[in-house]
Amino acid sequence: MTELSMTELSPQLLLYIATAACLFAIGVYGFIVGPQTLRRILALNIISAGIFMLMVVLAYRGLANGQARASPDPVLHALILTGLVVAVSATAFALALLGRLKQTQASPEHQP
Amino acid sequence: MSPFWQQYLPLAIILSSLLPGLIIFTLKETQVKLRISLNLLGVSIKLVLVLLMWQAVKAGQQFYFSLPFLPGADLVLQGDALSLLFVVLSSVLWLATTIYAIGYLEHSPLRSRFFGYFSLCVSATVGLALAGNLVTFLLFYELLTLATFPLVVHRGTAESLAAGRKYLAYTLSGGVILMLGVALLHSLVQSPLFTPGGYVAAVLSGNEGLLMLAFALMITGLGVKAALLPLHGWLPQAMVAPAPVSALLHAVAVVKAGAFGIIRLVYDVFGVESMYALQLAQPLMLLAAATILYGSWRALAQQDIKRRLAYSTISQVSYITLGVAMLGPLAAVGGLVHLVHQGVMKITLFFCAGNFAETLGIHKIRELNGVGRRMPITAMAFTLGALGMIGVPPTAGFISKWYLGLGAAEVEQPWLILVFALSGLMNAAYFLPVIYRMWFLPQSGPWPAEQRLSNRFETHWMLLFPVIFTAILLVLMGVFAGTELSPLSWAQLIVEREFRHD
Amino acid sequence: MMVLLLVLPLLGALLMLLWPKVAPLLTLLTAAVCSLVALQLVSRVSEQGSLQILLAGWPSGLAISLEANSLSSLLILLTTVLQLLVALYAVATYRRDKLGAGFWPLSSLLQLGLTALWLSRDLFNLYVCLELLGIAAVALVSLSGDKAIKPALNYLLLSLFGSLCYLLGVAMLYGAYGVLDISALALQWQANLLSSAALVLMTLGLMLKAALWPLHAWLPAAHAAAPAPVSALLSALVVKGPLFILCLLWLQLAATTQAQAMAPLFSFCGLAALLLGGIAALRTPLAKNMVAYSTVAQLGYATLALGLLLQFNQPLFAAALWLFVLAHALAKAACFLAIGEMTATLGGKRLNTLKGASQTMPLAMFAFAVAGGSLIGLPPSGGFLAKWALLQGLWLQGDQLLYLLAIVVVTLLSAAYVFRVVALAFDRAKPVKPDFAPHIVPQWLALLPALAVWAMTLYSEPLLRLLKQEGL
Repeated sequence: MTELSMTELSPQLLLYIATAACLFAIGVYGFIVGPQTLRRILALNIISAGIFMLMVVLAYRGLANGQARASPDPVLHALILTGLVVAVSATAFALALLGRLKQTQASPEHQP
Repeated sequence: MSPFWQQYLPLAIILSSLLPGLIIFTLKETQVKLRISLNLLGVSIKLVLVLLMWQAVKAGQQFYFSLPFLPGADLVLQGDALSLLFVVLSSVLWLATTIYAIGYLEHSPLRSRFFGYFSLCVSATVGLALAGNLVTFLLFYELLTLATFPLVVHRGTAESLAAGRKYLAYTLSGGVILMLGVALLHSLVQSPLFTPGGYVAAVLSGNEGLLMLAFALMITGLGVKAALLPLHGWLPQAMVAPAPVSALLHAVAVVKAGAFGIIRLVYDVFGVESMYALQLAQPLMLLAAATILYGSWRALAQQDIKRRLAYSTISQVSYITLGVAMLGPLAAVGGLVHLVHQGVMKITLFFCAGNFAETLGIHKIRELNGVGRRMPITAMAFTLGALGMIGVPPTAGFISKWYLGLGAAEVEQPWLILVFALSGLMNAAYFLPVIYRMWFLPQSGPWPAEQRLSNRFETHWMLLFPVIFTAILLVLMGVFAGTELSPLSWAQLIVEREFRHD
Repeated sequence: MMVLLLVLPLLGALLMLLWPKVAPLLTLLTAAVCSLVALQLVSRVSEQGSLQILLAGWPSGLAISLEANSLSSLLILLTTVLQLLVALYAVATYRRDKLGAGFWPLSSLLQLGLTALWLSRDLFNLYVCLELLGIAAVALVSLSGDKAIKPALNYLLLSLFGSLCYLLGVAMLYGAYGVLDISALALQWQANLLSSAALVLMTLGLMLKAALWPLHAWLPAAHAAAPAPVSALLSALVVKGPLFILCLLWLQLAATTQAQAMAPLFSFCGLAALLLGGIAALRTPLAKNMVAYSTVAQLGYATLALGLLLQFNQPLFAAALWLFVLAHALAKAACFLAIGEMTATLGGKRLNTLKGASQTMPLAMFAFAVAGGSLIGLPPSGGFLAKWALLQGLWLQGDQLLYLLAIVVVTLLSAAYVFRVVALAFDRAKPVKPDFAPHIVPQWLALLPALAVWAMTLYSEPLLRLLKQEGL
């Protein structure tokens, strides 16, 4: 397979890619700056949304160029699904931990 | 003797102290009898095995045992004439020190730990003596550091812990630098067996700079244990260890390991010719001469008996290095024989110092006034050891200094004779007043902390007998230097074999 | 055989959830059987060369492919054996330490994640393994109870962030080349801006997860907060996973120009980790933090070796890299178990607790000292082998005096923090209660890996040969 550089992508796809990049950047900014843990968890989710969006766009790349492929790339779709499962479970776990952290900090025997 | 024996005898010699040591670790504090018998059993087995090997090596046999280790450097144990010199010295003195330590530490806590490490220490020393190549030597050199550290800090006081830390800082740094040098040399020529005449001559051309660097690194690494001049700082502090440990460190294990390593490095790795070609002998000689004078000079000012002995060690061990660095056969005989003589003399002196401290609580030199009447045998032994150190005939010390002087004349370095003379004068200046105080000055007050350790003798028999043994030994070595059994003849045999190759 | 290694821990973990009562037994059983299988795998790979299978009979490219070369099989053996050992330790101290019931299935999942990671050669599978590993590790840290929640959460967030960086890099590479398999990717690899950017992103993510300096800040808190057996697993194995992927990327994918450009950075990070991690270990007053900082420092050796390998392409550095990984895993497991055992028995978290430990708990202290000897690199330990390979490589390369000097300094630094503990142990002990009776079995379990790391020298020649030719 020959290398597909960015210039071969249609303007529409480029727009999506730019959006994905923005999402990623916002997420990274939020993760590094955000003082609250909940915000950082959400920032992580925004980052993953950006990455999944990039992957979705890449899956449609062949179609937009009118090349031989008749359907979007199934491998990427499979990857996104797996990634989503991982992201959801990780977020749930992080939220659960955060909940426990709040509980221990609120409990009376905890000395600040 | 069968080849089987030849292969496993070196290993058996190491195991004869290693195994009892490991068993002793597991013993309870109260199992005194079992511990003592294990110790003595190990010592006797070792002595018998060493005797066997000695006979065989004298007849010209070689012992060789190897395990695969690094590529190009197997783990090799080899019994040749030079290693035998050190093995015999450490085994015989181990016997004396073990008995002494049993008496010295009677009723003190943590004896299982002490004797366990004590045995490990001797195993490492013997392994170092039998090491057949540089990598094996390095291995035992590091193990020796590890085994002696618990002995130095044995008392667990703040002072001994501080000394232990300093000891570790010096010796571990030395070990790392030695490792660097060994690795450098290994990258140039691998690590073949120690051979008389050395093995670096083959790669000499084109690698002069790297070889000199390797030599400098290894001498630095070995110099820490041999207490060469700027690296001697740990030795006086390590005095806080119990007396048998000090005796062992000074006479057999640590400083001797460094000196022995220098001998190996000069004769069996680089070889006389390469030493000449690289012009390495002169700086080593200067360093050793400076250490001799410095050690003696500092010893003059010490008021603590053990500290004075420590500085004396710094000076005396450098005689060995100097003898080796002169690169002449006569000087080599002097250096090698001093390895043994200094060991026996210094162990006697440390035993005596320990006896004074244990029996009468004497630590300072001024408290020694009149001790000759209270403890005549110990004082006599101390006198003999001190006279030997000065080099008065017919003690052992005279023999080695005589050969060193002859060697200096032989290699035409007359200034060295001046160094010997000067150091001899200083030796006399710091030992003779002690002897004078012991015999000719009256007791100046009650002893600091007198204990009646025995009804029959002046002190506990286990403290006294080792002293008598080593004192007699050092006189015999001097008087019978001409006979076949003496260390002198053995040193001549080694030198003959080392210099015969060319 | 490879499938068995993956299915067994997974099945074990599921069964443990169903019958929590027999969970310890199941963990031991799984780990023991897996160790045997791994041993067989090692011998088969060393005889027949690397093995490759495609899962479930799908064609190549679609199926999940697994590949076991000699390095992977060695790492699997290490994983399973340490898992067995730690499980034994956990069983032995179960009553006293009140380890949560979650330990058993989670540690099995951890083993699964690691085994899958060593076997995968596909960027996305590696991502899934990373995530499995990260989540299992965080869950294990949080077992310690309330005080561990905060470091665990921090660890989780950073670990997720690292994985996402890695994932973005994977997406970019797939976008450019359309393949995920590393060997297929290497065939079409071109050194351009896109591939460099992807590599840098993935490297950042992996360095964060592997706690390589300067992205190590989360490690000491997390490893110190975890229960002793968990810390042992984390320090010995978990941080090595991302490191393994990092090596795969740079050694198999990256073009020579990219590798050359990155090499000095890796070497610098390695040296900085060694130096600063060592100093931190020397200064911390807490026992477990000391061991954790030592992990940061020791990972510096691996980073340094990787940097040098990329720079000079000298096979000795590859051997040094993997020997460090193997030796450190064994030594660090021993350190954590020994320190954990001593602090638990003597009661207290500070290093001062260990005062006089050579009298009160000689066996555990001995284990720590023996393992510490390998961390310093004293002969004839595994750490010495690795350092020897590194030194040989540097001397053969010529004119690398700066590195050599740095190695001397950091060796002394590691000696300083190890002997700081040992010297404390030789101090006078506080008098103990008459009923003071330390458990013997856990102490022996701490000693075993320490002895194993010294026994590595017995196999030094085959190890060096294997790891040198492997080079990944």
